[in-house]
Amino acid sequence: MQPFIEVKDVVKQYDGHLALDHVSLNVPRGCIYGLLGPNGAGKTSLIRIINQITHPDEGEVLLDGRPMTEDDVIHLGYLPEERGLYKKMKVGEHIVYIGRLKGMTKADAVAAMHEWLERFDLTEWRDKKVEALSKGMQQKVQFINTVIHRPQLLIFDEPFSGFDPVNADQLKVEILRLRDEGATILFSTHNMESVEEICEQISLINHARVVLEGNVDEIRHSHKQNIIAVGIEGKMPLAPDEALYTIVPAPADSRETYVKLADGVSARDVIQRLNERYTLTGFHEILPSMHDIFVNTVKAQSHE
Amino acid sequence: MNKLKLIIAREYMTTVARKSFIFTTLLVPVIMILCMGLPALIAYYNQSGGDVETVAVIDASGRYGTAIHDTEQYHFVVMSADTIADPYKFYNSSDKSLAAIVMIPRDIDSTAQATVFSESTINVTLKSHINNALSDTISQTRLLSYGVPNLQEMVDKANVDVDLKSVKWSESGRETESSTEMAMVLGMVLSLLTYTFVLMYGAMIMNGVIEEKTNRIVEVIVSSCKPFELMMGKIIGVALVGLTQLAIWGVIMGVLSLVLGSIFGADVMAGGQAQAGMQAMQEMGDSVDMAGILKAVMSINYPMIITNFIIYFVGGYLLYAALFAAFGSAVDQAADASQFTTPIILIMIVALYAGIACIENPNGPMAVWCSIIPFTSPVVMMVRLPYDVPFWQIALSVVLLYATACAVVWIAGRIYRTGILLYGKKTSFKEILRWIK
Repeated sequence: MQPFIEVKDVVKQYDGHLALDHVSLNVPRGCIYGLLGPNGAGKTSLIRIINQITHPDEGEVLLDGRPMTEDDVIHLGYLPEERGLYKKMKVGEHIVYIGRLKGMTKADAVAAMHEWLERFDLTEWRDKKVEALSKGMQQKVQFINTVIHRPQLLIFDEPFSGFDPVNADQLKVEILRLRDEGATILFSTHNMESVEEICEQISLINHARVVLEGNVDEIRHSHKQNIIAVGIEGKMPLAPDEALYTIVPAPADSRETYVKLADGVSARDVIQRLNERYTLTGFHEILPSMHDIFVNTVKAQSHE
Repeated sequence: MNKLKLIIAREYMTTVARKSFIFTTLLVPVIMILCMGLPALIAYYNQSGGDVETVAVIDASGRYGTAIHDTEQYHFVVMSADTIADPYKFYNSSDKSLAAIVMIPRDIDSTAQATVFSESTINVTLKSHINNALSDTISQTRLLSYGVPNLQEMVDKANVDVDLKSVKWSESGRETESSTEMAMVLGMVLSLLTYTFVLMYGAMIMNGVIEEKTNRIVEVIVSSCKPFELMMGKIIGVALVGLTQLAIWGVIMGVLSLVLGSIFGADVMAGGQAQAGMQAMQEMGDSVDMAGILKAVMSINYPMIITNFIIYFVGGYLLYAALFAAFGSAVDQAADASQFTTPIILIMIVALYAGIACIENPNGPMAVWCSIIPFTSPVVMMVRLPYDVPFWQIALSVVLLYATACAVVWIAGRIYRTGILLYGKKTSFKEILRWIK
């Protein structure tokens, strides 16, 4: 299938510092795509290139198979990490202004503004100045600014930072809804929990390069370390068995024991053995979290 | 184009709706009228509101006492010198109610000396009033003493104040009356207008750019339009704001001065001005004929001056506004901007002083050069314009100004494009030069 966004071999240099070093990635249509990486890895540079704010020194960005131009920005919605609004503008006017800048007619922008304000319970704030709103409400207004013109591609830079859990959930619901309506979503974040929860694919960028790309489940499976959580009845601790497994530290809140299988040992062998000695209440494989994969990959890179 | 219009409209609407804008727009003309009207009002009340004071004139000559006539402030009472020997004793015996005592000696005809006594410092107005009255009478007496018939009339006729009219030939050789004073005032007003406008609204542009940059809205906007559009939108929007403000000020000040004028009457203003130190005005008042002034005002070539003013005003504004926008984009906060704005302001001040100096010699080499160099020409040319600048100079200067303005706008666009997205760095001139490349 034709990727919706295709970044091909993009190189970008700032003042002798290489921000992007032959970066390529494919974002399928209708996908929620995570763009991960430590600070300064080059995520913002890449986003700015996709946004047409800056241009790559080499390489190109294709939208639906054809080179992207500045006119395509009306199909884009961008929520920067640093939130910015005109503080002196009224909420409604602000949303309509951004919508019209993105090419909407005034009537369309006004209609969409009403719809979105209602969805986020902000209707009564429509004629208030932005500066009168709480921080959380301002972020909702900024989110509406991003999606008002129904862009085909949405770029969110740390969308959940600064949101309380209730509002973060509401935002998540809206993001998934936009995806279901056909939008492709590019997500730049450090928040690995949200990556596991909503991203289907990711790219991990470190030191200006893509170091890991693919489907989230596949990545987690390919990074598994044969660790199994075992739950047993009674207070008797699990005895070590060097031939089959070693006990590894489990998270503090877990009531299960984590074991790492010895080389060449299958989970089946372990179940069989344990079943003979204990009453098993649980037995499941632990996949590495995206957090661990992220940290390990980045660390491994910096040791190279 | 559509986006540019939107940006201009937003810039205009939000600035005009600001409380601070409404406040300044309404308050400045009131303050200005107060500043101009207050001295006049004070003088007016000083003059007519106070009690009339009595001045005793002790006249030993017997002829001069009656020459001093009462004024609105002072009433003069002539006393015989025979009854009063010591003015101080007389002053004390009068319960100190006298404002002053004038002593006119017997031999005033020859000595031309008199004395005023008072316990407090003697008012300048009172002093000059007495002086004038006595001097006039003494000259008349002396003229009479020569015994020449009709000498007084002859002297009056000989006293001439030349009314020097300056006449300028128009191209067809027709004579038109011109007034250098009027031309000078007009040139200076236009020049100051350009200077103030550029600095005031240039700063407004810069602060707007810095504000957009610091609250990061700029990232959202430039992902919807070109940075250049945003910059130009701001420059044009602020220009419209400035013109609106000027128009409102013009209207308010016009209405206020009409209203105040009709309430207090024209004599308040006139009297006030004269009182405020311009006594010469009164003397001039007779010789300046209003018809002449009107003629001079009419003789100025308004269409030429106004057209040129608009051309220079727009060009100069564009030139400086683009610089302000570019420098605003290069800094993170207003406080850091001074290293960039100081040179701009210095150039403007140089231009203003060059303009003032040009009044002395509007066709001298400095005037000519400064009115051709683009950075000073918008201010300096305004001063020269009423003095008929050769066409080639205007043409050269306008072409240079617009070429420079376009170049500066283009360069500013490049600086702006890089600057607005760059944070947390102290930017130097050197770095900015690299962005242009």
